[in-house]
Amino acid sequence: MTVAAATPAAAPLDGREVRRLTRRSAAARASTTWWTRVEDAWSTIAYVAILLAVAGGWLASVRDEISVREPVAAAPLPASAAALVALVVVVAGLIGLLDRLGPISASPAAAGWWLPLPADRRGLLRGDLVRLAAGCAATSAVLALPLAMVLPGATPATVTAAAVTAAAAAAGLVGAVALAQTRGRTGRLSTVAGAVAVLASTTAALLAIAPPLARAAGELPAVGGAVPLAAALAAAAVAVLLLVAADRGLGRIGAGALRTLGSTSAFASASVFSMDLRDLGRALARPPRRAPSRPRRFRPARGPGRAVVLADLTLMARSPWQLGQLLVAVALPVLAVRTEGLDRLPVAGAVGLVLGWLLAAVAVGHPSRQGHAMPALDRLLPLSPGRLVVARAVVPAVLLTVVCGCGGLLIGQSGDDLFAWTVLALGAVPAWTAAAVRGAYRPELDWGGPVVSTPMGIVPAGAGATLVQGVDVGLLGSAPILVALLVDGPPLAVLVAVQWGWATAVATAALTYLAHRGAAKG
Amino acid sequence: MPDSPDAALLRADELTAGHDDVPTSAPVHLHLPPGRALAVIGPNGAGKSTLLHTLVGLLPPLGGSVSFDGEPVDERRASFRRDVAQVLDDDAFFPALTGREHLLLTARAHGVEDAEEVVAAELAAFGLEERADALPSRLSSGQRRRLALAAAFVRPARLLVLDEPERRLDAEMRRTLAERVAAERDAGLAVLFASHDAAFVTTAADEALLADEECVLLPPEAVPATMAGTEG
Repeated sequence: MTVAAATPAAAPLDGREVRRLTRRSAAARASTTWWTRVEDAWSTIAYVAILLAVAGGWLASVRDEISVREPVAAAPLPASAAALVALVVVVAGLIGLLDRLGPISASPAAAGWWLPLPADRRGLLRGDLVRLAAGCAATSAVLALPLAMVLPGATPATVTAAAVTAAAAAAGLVGAVALAQTRGRTGRLSTVAGAVAVLASTTAALLAIAPPLARAAGELPAVGGAVPLAAALAAAAVAVLLLVAADRGLGRIGAGALRTLGSTSAFASASVFSMDLRDLGRALARPPRRAPSRPRRFRPARGPGRAVVLADLTLMARSPWQLGQLLVAVALPVLAVRTEGLDRLPVAGAVGLVLGWLLAAVAVGHPSRQGHAMPALDRLLPLSPGRLVVARAVVPAVLLTVVCGCGGLLIGQSGDDLFAWTVLALGAVPAWTAAAVRGAYRPELDWGGPVVSTPMGIVPAGAGATLVQGVDVGLLGSAPILVALLVDGPPLAVLVAVQWGWATAVATAALTYLAHRGAAKG
Repeated sequence: MPDSPDAALLRADELTAGHDDVPTSAPVHLHLPPGRALAVIGPNGAGKSTLLHTLVGLLPPLGGSVSFDGEPVDERRASFRRDVAQVLDDDAFFPALTGREHLLLTARAHGVEDAEEVVAAELAAFGLEERADALPSRLSSGQRRRLALAAAFVRPARLLVLDEPERRLDAEMRRTLAERVAAERDAGLAVLFASHDAAFVTTAADEALLADEECVLLPPEAVPATMAGTEG
């Protein structure tokens, strides 16, 4: 047959038939049986049920503990306002993730073999839309269940309504973002969602530290509480409408966009399965669309050490996501210690502080992660591993001084120990600086060595010890300030001294070890 | 091309191709009628692949226009995909489908009658008979390239677009493929391909478009000297 002369005589396959043919061909040699699938489904349900029971019990104990303690802050941020902010952040995160990954995309194989076919694109892509919506809905319902179970006056009906609402909201978000994608309006949603999340967090933190504003927020009508079943069903109906509208527009999505988004999704999926969080960050990061309008000439870079510092500073200045993370990192501890209910739990302050500073350490480790990804660039500079590590620690130290200092100021501003809390918080800077650099340069997981079977699947032996590199130093070096938060007392001078000495010692040990290992070798 | 622009199957007027508002080559003007083959040549980074992606609608043009059969190119139209066979990015395969199954999927989706016979013939033509039932992961890089190329020939088309078809092929297969492309062209197929192989271009193309700071059309006999000059 010559290509030009041939004419189709049989009926061409539509999109659904192409999917089916592909699936059947693959299934013909698959080793997975129906029984295996039933077993997998059963074990998954069992794990989820156990996790739900544990999470529900823990949340109930937290609720009980809050109820028996006396209020601490005079005018804390109302719990309903904090819950609303948390909801905004979660929704923004989901929208950002959906936008970055499509939400509809084509795997590299599908892009190469399905998209050029004359089969209807809607039929080819519909299965992905349905699977994505169902997955997000199920996950949201499962996450909402323990929260709904500990709400005051929870009944089976209210819990069911909450789960249905959460599922409908998630499926509706998938439908809305997919609908925007079919109309070519995605691509920048993740930036907007990120900005909204940062704005909501920082606004809430500002409200929390200003008693008049917090009181004003408390007088607003509270949101939240039990959702009527009718409202849940209405939300489900809206979600279905959005999904149907998105489905009808699937044929409008171009192959070029599906191919590009599919590559991003494949990269992100591979990072998740290989437990490489650094690669996951790279997969989800949006590369700059344009070269910077004002290129730097790096004139002050006299010597390789300064060159590294200036390059890191430039990279951070051009990384709006990381700068947004730093703002959220400042807001988190404040919200933890100044939110109604949480303010009665000293452990909440400690957890908020650790989470905030961990987020900051991850953000300021961005230049080091870039260096780890391209070790050849580091090797071009005439720097010993020790000097390279020191140079890489400069920018994180400067930025973490701001974050930790703000954290101490905001935590201490409600009492008479503002200065002591600030100095105490600044004492943790060396530890989190070392955590940022150590986390960025942690070794890859060794998938070629022995593996361990876990409920989540096969993982390399020692995976946990590798993945916590960075966090470990931060936590260890922050022990004194965490103790101060847990005992809920004013920081003594001796504790401040211990914090500084201890964090410096831990950081020095960690960075020295990293230098000996050879940071540029990865 | 010497033919009248009105007879063109694929036509580009002042087409500027590029990524993110940055052009990768000078504006292109071309018209490709049925039964003609045009090669796009030029050094690495000249924008050949970007130009091909733009011509088949996978990238939006930065300027100018491109039309197929008198209509603006829109790869979302099933009729466009039915008429245009393309092998641009060939590194991805369904991991659980054999080479034969990949080709059968393509042929059946295009409604090819006697799909199994057509596929068997193309497997033989591309030297894949013995490896036809192997999974892609068990094929060599060159065999996977042959499989991707074979997919363009198991289906009907009016325009064939290939990006560096000679890539990863041995000398014998390159010669066979060039002759096959020339035969398809002579049977009425319009062919557009980018290439770094002067012998392939002189065998298969009627004319060559040099993508560089300025896009110019060259006769095939001028290609070897031009490629030697531009590609070292």
